Amino acid sequence: MNGIHDLGGMHGMGPIRPEANEPVFHEDWERRVFGVMIATFAGGQFNVDQFRHAIERMDPAHYLESSYYEHWLTAVETLLVENGALTRAELEARRAELAKEAA
Amino acid sequence: MPALTKDMVPGLVATGGSCRAQAEVPAKFAQGDRIVVRNINPTRHTRLPRYVRGKHGVVEHDHGVFVFPDTSAHGQGQKPQHVYSVKFAAQELWGAGAPSRDHLYLDLWDDYMDRA
Repeated sequence: MNGIHDLGGMHGMGPIRPEANEPVFHEDWERRVFGVMIATFAGGQFNVDQFRHAIERMDPAHYLESSYYEHWLTAVETLLVENGALTRAELEARRAELAKEAA
Repeated sequence: MPALTKDMVPGLVATGGSCRAQAEVPAKFAQGDRIVVRNINPTRHTRLPRYVRGKHGVVEHDHGVFVFPDTSAHGQGQKPQHVYSVKFAAQELWGAGAPSRDHLYLDLWDDYMDRA
């Protein structure tokens, strides 16, 4: 698809500045998203091409505003809802629970 | 469905779950072949970037046989085929203003290309 992910040749995205001693994860939640993705992938919930395509199908504005691992999280959520492993309502309920705990 | 076990993790992380296919498939192209990239605009998944569609290049290396993402992403099978490293002149992609000695190498599947 001719989506927002296909950035090759576009201008105005700013310089690429490689980080010195870049950590594997910048935030602890990224480590969890990595684990969730690997577990659901290896568990046969989706293949790598379906995963990539789910990232491409993100809302374009959300895609540009979100980080690498937020792309991963969004794609896993999309695929698990589409294949019936989860419902959107279950996801939202859990989100609300966590927000309450954090408050 | 196989569940992920702890002993599977290192291999999976190391290989990223390789998409190399075991099928014997004849190669459509050989090193040195001049190709033109198909100008396709599927609304579904493809790994063919927009900026290379319709451009001319030269096959530099045959990587072997891999799963075809365009079908695999949609439950339409692996359609295994050769993937090549294809060389494009920067000026072919970006015009006369690009540096004349720069080249870009892209990994492309058989189905993305025709003989030029």
